[in-house]
Amino acid sequence: MSDAAPPDAAIAAPGDESGWQRLHPATLALAVVALGPKSLNALPAVAALGFTGNWIWIVPAIGAFLLISLLAAWFQWLRFRFLVGDDEVVIESGVFARQHRTIPFDRIQDVSIEQGLIARAFGIAKVGFETGAGGKENDAALNAIALDAAQALRTTIRAHRSGEAAAVVAADAPDVAPAPDDRLLFAMAPGRLLTAGLFNFSLAALAVVGAAMQFFDGLLPFDFNIFNPVDWIDIAEDQGLDQWLLAHRWIAGIGAALSLLLIGFVSGIATMFFANWGFRLTREPRALRRTRGLTTRTDVALPVKRVQAAILVTGWFRRRFGWHELRLQSLASDGEKERDHQVVPFGKLAEIDPVLGEIAIARPGAEAAWQHSHRIVALGGLIGAVGASAGGIVAVSFGQPLGWLGPVAGLLIGAGSLFGARFHRWTDLGEQVAIRRGIWKPKTTLLPHASVQSIDLKSDFILRPLGLATLVFGVPGGSSLASHEIPAIPLGAAHDLRTRILAARARR
Amino acid sequence: MTDTPAAHPTDPFDAEALNAAEGLHPVDPAYAKVLRIATALNLIPLAIGASVFDALLIRHIEGPYGLITALAWLIAIVTIVSFPSRRVSRWGYKIGEGQLRVARGWLFRTDTIVPFVRVQHIDVGQGPIERWFGLSHLIVHTSGTHNSTVTLPGLPSDLAAAMRETIRRHIQTDFA
Repeated sequence: MSDAAPPDAAIAAPGDESGWQRLHPATLALAVVALGPKSLNALPAVAALGFTGNWIWIVPAIGAFLLISLLAAWFQWLRFRFLVGDDEVVIESGVFARQHRTIPFDRIQDVSIEQGLIARAFGIAKVGFETGAGGKENDAALNAIALDAAQALRTTIRAHRSGEAAAVVAADAPDVAPAPDDRLLFAMAPGRLLTAGLFNFSLAALAVVGAAMQFFDGLLPFDFNIFNPVDWIDIAEDQGLDQWLLAHRWIAGIGAALSLLLIGFVSGIATMFFANWGFRLTREPRALRRTRGLTTRTDVALPVKRVQAAILVTGWFRRRFGWHELRLQSLASDGEKERDHQVVPFGKLAEIDPVLGEIAIARPGAEAAWQHSHRIVALGGLIGAVGASAGGIVAVSFGQPLGWLGPVAGLLIGAGSLFGARFHRWTDLGEQVAIRRGIWKPKTTLLPHASVQSIDLKSDFILRPLGLATLVFGVPGGSSLASHEIPAIPLGAAHDLRTRILAARARR
Repeated sequence: MTDTPAAHPTDPFDAEALNAAEGLHPVDPAYAKVLRIATALNLIPLAIGASVFDALLIRHIEGPYGLITALAWLIAIVTIVSFPSRRVSRWGYKIGEGQLRVARGWLFRTDTIVPFVRVQHIDVGQGPIERWFGLSHLIVHTSGTHNSTVTLPGLPSDLAAAMRETIRRHIQTDFA
């Protein structure tokens, strides 16, 4: 390893023609370290040599493996070069299939510098360019360059972007008092949390109780499991209570229903209190800042310029009381799990509108002319319904009476999808598109034209004869809640909308 | 060419008409050869595998020996001979007016437009088979989660390089 390094350094040392640079030769050292886990692949071969008695060949085999791996790493290093130009980074890579990648400085959101333990020993660093392109593998990286070169590169790129507010403030520091000039946009008092919790009714806790029942069954010292209803029935029988229960079945039913309700409400309120205790949304000079949480307090800053779209979620029941939830889609994702940022967990529209105002997005007014998607969007559900019915009927014909559930479910699914198809609607508000869908959990996506990165116009053998097309928008920062698409609208309308959105200039 | 410019081509299966009606350029016909070789590299091993399976197993259990072999080779040959040129003729692109337009497929047709200002970075790639025929593919990266990469295959290498330069200029000048 160490004897291989000096000649490589000699090759790399001359300042290459026209500014092309290679990675630091220590890349090879990193490759040697990376061989550790990789050499597991060679173990079976070595073992086979040992079992067949060819002991003398083991050392040459391992040597050959090391040599080949090193050679491969060396070739890769040899064929990888990059160029830092006046306003772009160019990377060429690949031994057999060459790849030539150009990254303009304008598009680099941030430069990350990462140093592992071995990299530290060599004084090198990994430089990652965050371009905001979707997916990790799309972000380019220089695996190993000298640390000072990495810092210089970052300074160059940051200086190039200095005109912009390069603010990424994802602070995890808890309980930092907001500066006095920040305005409070939204806060949740305990009373509001209680209301929200009541609407957050969920029977997910039943699953927890069920798991506890399984768990305690073999654990408790006495032969009575408080989580097991059968044990309770045994006691009831001992006391002659079962006769009483049979006589008053309806009381037992009401009791069961009440306890279910209690579990549902308590768990809903508890999750709401744990997640959103002390919820505050404030407006800072450049960002929206959210602090919340009872046990784990989080403090997230969301740069206003990075907000791509707003999603308004409600439920069929809470909507009657005027309660809504506001989420913002941004380049960054909210922690590990959520793709978009919940900025108003539970509020009236009058409270949501000022927050939307801060990010220059408006809700469609009552006079907005909503247009509907074609009924054909129900097709998927209808096919499912037919499948369920057919399966059920086959089961019945084989003498399985439960099969009747199939056609019943099919009817319900079919009716549901036909009914739900009427709720796919969209409207163009000039600066943004609003897309609404869903009956059970209605979602309205407010998508500014300026956030749209690419537009797909899709048609297939079903939509084309009907003169329809589906528009799909590419928007930075994925959202699990809403795919940005307008399904099955007339081809002419789709073309018009696409032209209008593409004509919109970036707002920034 | 015709006195009534129909919105839909008269023959819906005529790809030339489809691309022309939408104002798109076809990709290089040589790309069909690339696809054909790639398809052959995928399918011929599968067909050989089916033949071996047939000879080793079906003959032993005295099933209909030869059926699987014949079917596998038939499907492989039909796919290799007829599909690539059809698939290639469904690809179309147009570059201009500050945007790149890429359309593909017929049964499920997708027509994508990426404005140059939205391009994050550009790749020009060339695989070994493409290199034989002097072709490259252009990959445009956007920051959208959907469509984060838009690929346009079957371009002559010099055209791909020229397109990359065009797009790159726009990225720099139109930066807002």
